[in-house]
Parts: sequence; C-alpha cells; structure tokens
Amino acid sequence: MSFRTAHFTVATRFALIEHGRNRFAMVLVALFVPVWTTLAYLAMPDDPARMRLRATGETLAPHGNELTEISGALNAVTLITGFMMFAATFSGSGFDRRLALAGYPRVPLVLAKVTALALVSAVVAGYATAVTCLAWTPRQPLLLAAALFCAGLTYGALGVGFGSLLRREVEGMFAIVMTSIIDLALQNPVTSSGADAPVVRYLPSYGAMQASTAAGFSSSPVPGHLAVQLAWFAAAALVAVAGFRRSTRSSLSSGAPAPPPRQEGGTVGLPAPRRSAASSPTPPPTPTTPPTVSDTEAD
Amino acid sequence: MEVRGVHHAYRRRAVLRGIDLRLRAGTLCGIVGENGAGKSTLLKVVSGELRPTRGTVRHTGRFGYCPQHAVLNDALTVRQHLSFFRTAYRLADVRYAEEVMEVLGFTGYAEERAGVLSGGTRQKLNVTLALMHDPQVLLLDEPYQGFDWDTYQRFWDLAVRLRNAGRSVLVVSHLAYDTARLDELWRLDGGLLRPDEAGAGA
Repeated sequence: MSFRTAHFTVATRFALIEHGRNRFAMVLVALFVPVWTTLAYLAMPDDPARMRLRATGETLAPHGNELTEISGALNAVTLITGFMMFAATFSGSGFDRRLALAGYPRVPLVLAKVTALALVSAVVAGYATAVTCLAWTPRQPLLLAAALFCAGLTYGALGVGFGSLLRREVEGMFAIVMTSIIDLALQNPVTSSGADAPVVRYLPSYGAMQASTAAGFSSSPVPGHLAVQLAWFAAAALVAVAGFRRSTRSSLSSGAPAPPPRQEGGTVGLPAPRRSAASSPTPPPTPTTPPTVSDTEAD
Repeated sequence: MEVRGVHHAYRRRAVLRGIDLRLRAGTLCGIVGENGAGKSTLLKVVSGELRPTRGTVRHTGRFGYCPQHAVLNDALTVRQHLSFFRTAYRLADVRYAEEVMEVLGFTGYAEERAGVLSGGTRQKLNVTLALMHDPQVLLLDEPYQGFDWDTYQRFWDLAVRLRNAGRSVLVVSHLAYDTARLDELWRLDGGLLRPDEAGAGA
C-alpha cells in the first residue's frame, strides 16, 4: 500500500474508531431517534395539515403527526451528526495539529473526516428511515433516507466548523441545538404559521425538509432540493475546511523540511547506553553546584 | 536548528523580545525560566505551532516536538497512536518507538486507551510520539511532568544516549535541576535568552 493510500485508510480507520467509542453518541443514536420520532408520531394530532409544498408545487394535506414525525427525524439526525462531529473536532483539534506538524498530509485527514461523516450520516439516516417506516409508510422511503442523509452531512460539517471556531464545549453544543431548533421549527407548518415565508428557503435544512416532505406525501422526485441541501453541505464544509487549515497550519516556511521518511526496512535502533559522566545517576532534584564550563557556545 | 531575532507578543504583551538560538548537533541543552517567562511560547514558535511576530526559524533536519501538555486522542490506544504517527512520519515499523517505550517502562500499556492512562503514562506516550522517528533535533517542553523518580532517571539516560548519538536535545523547564547533565543552559528572562550564570557542563 502506498503512503498516500495509507494516509487515507489509517486516518479513516481511526476517525471511525473515535466515533464508535463516543458512547453518548451511540446511546443517542439507539434511543433518541426512535423515542423522538415515535413520540412526535403518537403525541401530535393526526388532523390534516394543509400546506403547499414548494418543491413540487402541490397542495398537500398530510396527517399532522406524520409531518411532525418527519421533522423529528430530521431534528434527531442533524443533532446527532452535528454533535458527533463537533465532539470529535473539539477534542481532537490539538491532536490533528500535532499530526499535521509531524508530517501527516492534511488532505487525507480531511477526506477521512468527510468519509467518516458520510458513513455516520448514512447509518443514522437509514436507521431513522427504518424507524419511520415502522409507524407509517412514506411514499418514497429512499428519498426520505437521502434527505436525512444530506441533512446529516450538512450538520456534521457545521459541527466541524463550530468545533474549529468556538472555544468552549458548551458554546458548540448550544450552537448546534439552537441552529437545529430554529431551522426546523420555522419550517414545520404544524407549529409555525411562517412556514411559507420566503426566508425559510435560506435555512440550513430547507432542501432536506422539502425533499423529506415530498418523500412522505408525494410521488414526485425532487432532485433540485437534494442539490440545494448538498450545496448547503458544500458551503458548511468549506467553512469547516478553512477552520481545519487554520488550526493545523505550520508557521515554518515551506523551505523548512518536514520530517523526511526513513526508508522502508531501514529501521534504526535506539542508541545504546554509553558509560559517561553525563549518564551517571544523579541525586534527587536539588539545586546543583555550578557545573564546569562547557566547550560549547551559548548564543 | 537556527532561531534568529524571534519576537512574539500576545496582543500588546511582548513575551519574546529577540531570541537568537543555534542548536548544534550532539548537544543536550536546557532553557529555564520562571512561570510565564515565555518558554512554551518559544518552543511553539520553534516547532512551527505558533507564528512569531518577527524573526525566523530554520530547521535543517527532521525534528520532534513534545508539547507541555500531552496531546493525545483519548479514544485511541497506545498502539493506535504509534500506528497513526508511524504513518505521519512514514516509518517502516514502530520498533524504535517500542524501544523508547521499553526504556520509559510502559510497554504493558500498549493496548490501553489514552483516556484511561495515568498522567505519567500519558506523558511517556507524549514523549514517545515526539521521538519515535529518531529526530535530529528533539524539542521537549517540561517532558518529565508526572514521571516517577525511576522514569525520570531513565528519561535523562535516554536524552544522554540520544546526545551521544549526535542528536540535539533541547529541554525546557521551569526548574533548573540536573543542569550538570546539560552541555548548554540558557535562562529566558524578560523575553531574552541569556547563558545561565549557573552554567552547564558535560
């Protein structure tokens, strides 16, 4: 395996291990997704909620509880992926910097994080779709999964951005939670009379909300709105990459050599101990007597 | 390694006011100074972690940097750390790192996650990651924090072995213990580096 491939595979493997060992996130995935979506489905009235779906131009009257369940699934997926990526970025930024200064190329590090985010988003989105299908049957389950996946990607990238820019953990968690609440609450016609307002088009999960609603209650494909969501992901990812570049840059000029590799198979052993005055044991830490003059210069 | 005219300030507070330093091959050097004197700032500048306000840093060979606080990934085991940095340094294997672990006495923790290690063992791993690629210049910021006495002794023996093999080792500390082990000793005071009056000797 070439070092270029090794850089990517090793970083991806460890990024996935790190996410897998985030026990709180695993509990959230296992419990929060079904609890939140099921409660939304059971607790909300099933009265028809008349709405106009911009994505298809159709006027729909879905059950209010099913519409809220979709909103709940989006909320759960975005919070989980945002939290996981924020936690990994916040706690790992110093480690990433150390790796980069040690010579680890930053492109594979970034690609590994994107790959891990994509896998996490795919798993959580698939799980949320499956839970949804247990309660009722969306018209286009695959589109629902795709919409949840794209929303998860977007909030994961936002989580990386918050993790790079914010200084305290609580700030990042608050930022993710509030962004998701404002984003989704404003778009839900059951809870918001402003769901038709033009401003909602500029919210981070607008594309996913439109696509997932179409998935639930329409048979029309909406690739344009998935593309809108992917554009949000791209924009958030750009901010995240800029933050990552900033936090991992080296101030040493490009002329300064990165640690060159030792040749494959050219292992060097640790120098053997040598008996010398300098290597003899010294008494426990106490102020020492002035040593003899060194033959080295001290500039 | 050559440092010339390095200045650094945090906003209006000048910390480094013109540092000149040349680290020659095969020397074991120390920089001491009081808390807040700018020792860690200087090492961050020298390692490339921090951009100086003014001045230049030049490395002519590979170097290793051990930060003051252990910078590890708590989710990964000791062996996974070695694997990650083996890839970073493009090493064929981790035998050198395992030798360092043997010297520092923590080979038994290879499968433990960093998050459950004691402070001293985390610091041993911190040091190991800095020198597992056999750097020509080794920059160590308070490297023996949390070490027990036996490990402390073995750390210095290791530093001397590296020096004797032609490596340059720079140790920064707020304590001027063991100056007799050093070839050169400087004191960072008022943002300037001066030969320590207590001196140093091989």
